[in-house]
Amino acid sequence: MESIGIIVAFWALAVTTVGAALGVLVSRNLLHAIFFLITSFLGMAGLFITLSADFIAAAQVLIYAGAISVLLVFAMMLTPLASRDNANSLYLAPGALAGLGLAAIVGFVAVDTPWAELAGSTLAERSFPDTVRTIGAQLIGRYVLAFELASVLLLFALIGAVVLVHDRAAERGAAAAAEEAGTGPREEAT
Amino acid sequence: MIPMENFLLLSAVLFAIGFYGVLARRSAILILISVELMLAGVAINFVTFATYLDSQAFSGAIFALFVITVAAAEVGLALGIVLRIFRERQTANVDEVDTLKW
Amino acid sequence: MRDILGHSLNFQYELLLPEIIIAITATLVVGADAFRNELRLGRRILPWLSVIGLVAALVVSLLWIDTQRNFARLITIDNYTTFFRVLFTATAIVVIVGSHEYVERHIGHIGEFYALILLSTVGAIYMAAARDLLTAYVAIEVLSFSLYVAVSLARNDPRSGEAALKYTLLGGVASAMLLYGLSLLYGVAGSTQYTEISGALAAGTGGMTLPLILGLVLIVAGLGFKASAVPFHMYTPDAYEGAPLPITAYISATSKAAVLALFLRWFSGPLLPALPDWQWMVALIAVLTMGLGNLVALQQRNIKRLLAYSSIGQVGYMLMAITTVSVVSASALLLHIGGYLVTNLAVFMAVIAFYNRTGTEEISGFRGLAQTNPYLALVITAGMFSLGGMPLLAGFLTKFILFTAAADGGFLWLATFAVIMSTVSLYYYLQVIKQMYLYQPDGDARRWRLSPTGYLTTAVLLAGTVVLGVYATPLYTLADRATRVLFV
Repeated sequence: MESIGIIVAFWALAVTTVGAALGVLVSRNLLHAIFFLITSFLGMAGLFITLSADFIAAAQVLIYAGAISVLLVFAMMLTPLASRDNANSLYLAPGALAGLGLAAIVGFVAVDTPWAELAGSTLAERSFPDTVRTIGAQLIGRYVLAFELASVLLLFALIGAVVLVHDRAAERGAAAAAEEAGTGPREEAT
Repeated sequence: MIPMENFLLLSAVLFAIGFYGVLARRSAILILISVELMLAGVAINFVTFATYLDSQAFSGAIFALFVITVAAAEVGLALGIVLRIFRERQTANVDEVDTLKW
Repeated sequence: MRDILGHSLNFQYELLLPEIIIAITATLVVGADAFRNELRLGRRILPWLSVIGLVAALVVSLLWIDTQRNFARLITIDNYTTFFRVLFTATAIVVIVGSHEYVERHIGHIGEFYALILLSTVGAIYMAAARDLLTAYVAIEVLSFSLYVAVSLARNDPRSGEAALKYTLLGGVASAMLLYGLSLLYGVAGSTQYTEISGALAAGTGGMTLPLILGLVLIVAGLGFKASAVPFHMYTPDAYEGAPLPITAYISATSKAAVLALFLRWFSGPLLPALPDWQWMVALIAVLTMGLGNLVALQQRNIKRLLAYSSIGQVGYMLMAITTVSVVSASALLLHIGGYLVTNLAVFMAVIAFYNRTGTEEISGFRGLAQTNPYLALVITAGMFSLGGMPLLAGFLTKFILFTAAADGGFLWLATFAVIMSTVSLYYYLQVIKQMYLYQPDGDARRWRLSPTGYLTTAVLLAGTVVLGVYATPLYTLADRATRVLFV
């Protein structure tokens, strides 16, 4: 494991991830931003593998690079005017300042803290756990409540998304077809 | 082994990039993408701590899994809202959506 | 069954019964709405179905008074949880009963509206009940997501979608900050379990002070966002104004109380050993919140925005109790939350009844209400006086106990500031009362009556406001029993 290969892989993936994230920031075209985002997410999936979290890496590719990106592209197609010329304009200088400051503070804290010696764990000798088995057992075992709660959340996010984009005109057409007379007069404003 | 600090630094950079994007972008979709970058930084942080400090229970990785799941749901919802706004006023820029004062 | 680290886990699903009932009711409501024509159901069935489910959940949750059990180390069922279970289900019942006429007229998707209120109640309860950061986080998102959608449900109101957009995007940023803070806390403590975090922090964090403080800053910022504390409050007035009125009422009641319940659970439990590191932060945002919330409220013309800023001010008082965290101030906080919910809902239910009749949200629209509907004017007056802290009403007593607890906890300056701001708040409440009593009605001066459910909810809440103001001992005893389990 302690090969030069993993170190090279880490740096290549880290540069890809951060570089693509910076690309997201500067793109004026929404489609370019989404492609940069996908690249960044794929780089991150690689990083998860170097962290020996192979299951999270797979989830990252499937959910982020797959589902979320497709969703974003769909949204872009449905909002044609919004996809081009997204110049930065809001709070550019304060934003840059805040971003740099945040990076400096969080980064300093991350680097300055002697995590390893405080944790007292033997990092080097640690064997890679069988993460898929561990995660699977924990999700359906110990974390079953959080799992159920998340499924309820997803169900209602689905319902919510349908409600949000539900076309009013289509609704009125359907309502006219259905016999609504029994439930009293219905406010029919445009 | 790659030093743990490398991963933490990377996640800090991603978090900050996302934060900058939230402040500097006008398009609601791009702000949403920036939020996703922030959440990705969080996921890296959780997995790093889980791998290096909590490799037995690995609960941080499960946390990261939930973060990814919830982020996906959030994108779905937020894009639904953006579409609705776009249908009403033909724009998805937050500074043009200003019937209410901030 | 045991987990990987060898802790024994119990999976007693009956402990989750109230939330299971609520979640099933929510899906039934959505289903009944979708197949309404096929099943030949009236629209009236939906609110009553929701209320039946909530009442059942409320009754069932009383089974676990004075027990202390947990489900798989993820949530605790103790008196604290039971207190908030009852409080949140009762709030949802009041909001649904008091607003079903409004909902029929102004909400596009009725079934989803009730289902989202039910679902967010589940999230709110688990925020108070969680004993693991993961459950707490998912619960926060269940509550937030339901509200993001619910805010956008107003029909034919362009403000609604805009409010939802701001609420969702800023809520997402808040979640990200909170999560980053939680990840640092996990790195410092090595666990997501409350008990183990508390143990790790109490054992001393050595060189980990910096990440701990950074984590706490991000956690306080994220939670402050969700509770709409200053300086993270920017979205609140917009979300309040754009949301349908019942949702505004619901956000100002359940959402705030749930975040405060979570705040208290965290800062009196896992984070208590780090008290010196976070006390100043919470004190700071408490001062800012009280000050700015009340001062900006002075300039508002729209009743929803006025109530938004007034609720921001109220959050400031509540954060004060977090600052001086102790058994006394925790009980005072729960008492104040109870009193605030009753009073605030009384005002909101009255405003909803008023809006049903007049269709205006402007404060100037309240002119002459004392002539056209003296009863409603009385309810609003009592509610506003109570929010402002006038004696003999709930707000005075709960605030008095809260401020005394803060002063006893060594934060006399904070309590003094709170008293001053509370006095300032009376001014803008009086503006509304002045409109109702000193001016003539603008147009139609005929008397009008509320609907039966309007009378029912406002009367119950008005009675609650008065009774709590005179005799709050029972509620205080309950709050005390609920908070005893926090400080072990």
